[in-house]
Amino acid sequence: MKKVNVCILQSDGTNCDNELFYAFKKFGGNPQFVHINELRNRPKTLKDFRILALPGGFSYGDDVVSGKIWAIELISFLRDEIENFRKRGGLIIGICNGFQVLVRCGLLPFGNMGKMDATLAPNDSGHFECRWVDLKNEKSKCVFLKGDYGVGHFAVNHGEGKFLGNAETLKKIETQNLVVFRYVDSDGNPIQSYPENPNGSLNAIAGVTDPSGRILGLMPHPEKFVDITQYPNWRREKLIKPHGAFIFEEMINYIKENS
Amino acid sequence: MIQTVRVRTNKNPTAKVYRLEGITEKQAKILAEKLFCENINQTYTINKSIFFNVIEIAYKMGVMNPEVASIIKAARDLKVNLIACDSSKEYLNKAPAFNPLIENIVKKEPTTLLIKERVGKTAVVPIREMEDKELLLLSKDKLFLNLEEMKTIQNYFQKIKRDPTDLELETLAQTWSEHCAHKTFKAKLVVDGKNKMPLIERIKKEAYKHKKNIVSAFVDNSGVMDFYDGLAINGKAETHNAPSAIEPYGGAMTGSGGVFRDIVATGQGAKCLISTDIFCLAPPNTPKNKLPAGTLPPDYILKRVVAAVRDYGNRIGIPSNNGSFHFHEDFRAKPIVLVGSYGILPRNKAEKGKPKIADLAVVIGGKTGRDGIHGATFSSAVMSEKTVKVNATAVQIGNAIEEKRTFDAILEARDKDLIRAVQDLGAGGLSSAIGEMGEKVGVTVHLEKAPLKYQGLSPWEIWVSESQERMLIVLPKKNLKEFVKICKKYNVETTEIGEFDGSKRLQVFYGKEKVGDLEMKFLYGGLPQRVMHATNVKVAPWSRSHLNIPKTKKGWINHLEKILSHGNINSKEPILRMYDHNVQGTNALHPFTGVGMDGPNDAAVIKPILDKPYGLIVSHGLNPAFTMSDPYWGSIWAASEAISNYVAVGGDYKNASLINNYIWPFPDEEWLGKLDRCVDAVCDFMKALKIPVISGKDSLSATYRGSNGFVLHSPPTLCISVFGRIPDAKKTISSDFKKIGSTIVLVGKQDLENEISYIDIKILPKVLEKIYKAIKEGQVLACHDVSEGGPITTIFEMCVGGNCGVKIKVDGKKLLSETAGCFIVEVKNEEIAKKLFKGIPYEILGKTIKDEKLMVENLFTTDIDRLQKAWSRPMMEVFG
Repeated sequence: MKKVNVCILQSDGTNCDNELFYAFKKFGGNPQFVHINELRNRPKTLKDFRILALPGGFSYGDDVVSGKIWAIELISFLRDEIENFRKRGGLIIGICNGFQVLVRCGLLPFGNMGKMDATLAPNDSGHFECRWVDLKNEKSKCVFLKGDYGVGHFAVNHGEGKFLGNAETLKKIETQNLVVFRYVDSDGNPIQSYPENPNGSLNAIAGVTDPSGRILGLMPHPEKFVDITQYPNWRREKLIKPHGAFIFEEMINYIKENS
Repeated sequence: MIQTVRVRTNKNPTAKVYRLEGITEKQAKILAEKLFCENINQTYTINKSIFFNVIEIAYKMGVMNPEVASIIKAARDLKVNLIACDSSKEYLNKAPAFNPLIENIVKKEPTTLLIKERVGKTAVVPIREMEDKELLLLSKDKLFLNLEEMKTIQNYFQKIKRDPTDLELETLAQTWSEHCAHKTFKAKLVVDGKNKMPLIERIKKEAYKHKKNIVSAFVDNSGVMDFYDGLAINGKAETHNAPSAIEPYGGAMTGSGGVFRDIVATGQGAKCLISTDIFCLAPPNTPKNKLPAGTLPPDYILKRVVAAVRDYGNRIGIPSNNGSFHFHEDFRAKPIVLVGSYGILPRNKAEKGKPKIADLAVVIGGKTGRDGIHGATFSSAVMSEKTVKVNATAVQIGNAIEEKRTFDAILEARDKDLIRAVQDLGAGGLSSAIGEMGEKVGVTVHLEKAPLKYQGLSPWEIWVSESQERMLIVLPKKNLKEFVKICKKYNVETTEIGEFDGSKRLQVFYGKEKVGDLEMKFLYGGLPQRVMHATNVKVAPWSRSHLNIPKTKKGWINHLEKILSHGNINSKEPILRMYDHNVQGTNALHPFTGVGMDGPNDAAVIKPILDKPYGLIVSHGLNPAFTMSDPYWGSIWAASEAISNYVAVGGDYKNASLINNYIWPFPDEEWLGKLDRCVDAVCDFMKALKIPVISGKDSLSATYRGSNGFVLHSPPTLCISVFGRIPDAKKTISSDFKKIGSTIVLVGKQDLENEISYIDIKILPKVLEKIYKAIKEGQVLACHDVSEGGPITTIFEMCVGGNCGVKIKVDGKKLLSETAGCFIVEVKNEEIAKKLFKGIPYEILGKTIKDEKLMVENLFTTDIDRLQKAWSRPMMEVFG
């Protein structure tokens, strides 16, 4: 079977690219680093990839607002490239800053590149948050996450992660089943209170997909828990499987099964 | 014409202001809609204010606003070309605390954002004719050299029969500054009339006796030791006190940026893995009337240094997962900001290549501005209330992203074997970096090529500017094309600024004008070795209030609340939650673990290579209050604490290296005598443990002098940092109690006899070895080292992590003794404890219990919750 090529896209200030690379590799993908300039200047193209991954970090320093400068770059120079990638059935994942970029591109939540419908605003706490939270996935349009994966521990590391949209947008997101992950308490119930909901996201939304189900964006970092030792309490909680693993496994499985 | 876009936010600041030069209002509208304003939760105006009663705070002209480059880039991507721009914030009614050194209130709309100045001319300074008084005047507030050094310079120019240019004088002052030349550490020392080996020689001599793991020590920007699989790890810690005292945010940021560059500029380039942040400040509640003139309030400093680590470390993506805070009133004029960093690089690229004739000196990264001028000379000077006015240029704001992309480019070029050597542009700027690289072979430099942030810099200013985020690459000419291509990919600017030429001279040009020409031999060999006299002062015993053993149950509980809320001991979790300590995915021991992830750990353990089991462990120790009262035993304590932190998590001290940082008051005879004792302690410690110091730095200017004769010395401080390797990161342990009914053991030799805590450094290595082995064999459930606050604090913190309590029986004095080098260990049962710790001092204290209480037989019982409130409250109050 052909390798599943994963494009780990970099910009100035991308800083979670190594662990994302490792996560895809560990679960059978064939990741490669691609700098945005290499797509803009065309020595590289998305034609060679099945998965496009936008890592976390501080692209262009979070200047103006997080992910904005990179989003403008994608819209201005790579709109066709990305639209064609989607038409070919490629999957896109954006984590943390990558999610911020996808939202500011308009790719999430409604798949309209160039039209922004929601935002990720500064955390209610007013500052960066580095902590572990619980997430639960739910039945959604996301084509590659069809199971019930239970409540999992995930790292959050961000200053602007409050998912925000007007009432109409939120309603549309909910009725179209675009919410993939919510912040939950230990019983798995969505939670609004701090710090379990680390940023004050409306409807406890932590991750969403688009109507095609092929784009996933989330603030927490599944790629920071693909080895047992990455979790702070691995010495006291005897966990069998790292909680971030399933996302990468399922993305790669989906590509393999659908090609 | 400037277009002003205001974006309204719902909080205070009420608006972000963007001033855009060189575009039409129509273009400003495009930028407002596509770049600045998000219509989901924001609105905007163009050239129209939103509120009337607002105060706008902006960076001063000439201070780099890191956001500007991004705005210009994004505008260009939207086909709008800006000539210049700026961003600022508007606040309703009242201005927030800001630093007038770098920011100001905008009172009048600017008409242009461009700084237009004519290039300053190079001046010739008639030094040959000067009398001593004039020489000293020339030195004061500018060159910071002493009379003997000024006369050496005078003699040289008399000999070559011309006067120096301003650039040449600046070059000499920078190269010969205490900061760069470490004159005190290299000086011939006379202590109480007897000759002693120079401090640095003493350290090196002892260190080289333990060179098993050393790859390189004392020769590069960081110390390098062996790792696994053909890799090496490197470490460095550095203070940035002087700038932080007058502008803590910019100072601490550039402190971080500087030490990261030291790591990367090791050999042919290393990757930064982790950072440590150590701050010594006055207590945040120090009364205003106690603050000397020209100093900032300590709570402002505390908040701003934390914000700096957050904003720089998080952005650049280097986890900040080890650090500490130390509070003492005497830090109110000159606080300590000490940043450490650790990296990894291939062993065969750990040594710098020597520049060859025709190699290029290429500067990459940020542009050069007036910022940071005189940093090297300034940081070597005693601080006074004039400092702020005279040296305002010595501070700047860091741009983490500029540094990040520069690092990315260097690592790719290194892996393609393009680089001969990497040097960072830190203190002394181009002068220091190019000079040092060219010392043996000679170099010609063309300053007009340097890309500038704004026009108007004189050649000497370009030459010694300390603008951040610049690196010097020594490159064989044939690699230039490939190297430039890589830099372009990462949006990194490259400038071939000079060429190594075999002249053994430093020749500097600005266009066709020769602005400097110095023999390398004089520049690097001309500085006379100082002879310095020191006096050993007998130290008065340290009074330790902690050892006043409470007499009643209530007395105990009050006492514990007092200890646990002390600045050095209380929980720093609110701070750590703002630092990204998790980026890179390498953490194998987080700063906090336990049921509620609130139990603090002793050291950081990371797995630098994600698919390998190898661990890198990092820890540190210092005790300024103790070093102040007894420089020798305080230093032994600091080193013992550092290594105990390292071993408490499972580190093997025999595979560790040390970094020593000395932060000392201006070395007059008495302070030099104390420094001498401190260095002796470091050497004795190396000898006892048979491990080397491989890097370090001294900062001998922790003295403040007010105009009214008021003098304040910061507590003399030795910080020992430890880093090393372990073959399997899984064989490490956290501090949180793991089980109910397990056995609690106090391991190590406490000093209960003396007022001051003497540590038995003969027994220490035996204790460390037993702890390491016990953890390695998997027999230890939890371990935490004893530090300030004594074993009771250690046990308390382990209970916090374990959400449990303890029932113990032990002498009250032992519970409070702060002897470093001791440990609290949790094991399954007493038999195991007896087997593990046979042959070293240990005592079984009791058992863990489900009830969340501290129960000490015959002394007291209290709820963990009550103590935890006292422990958590102080930093929650500062940081919310």
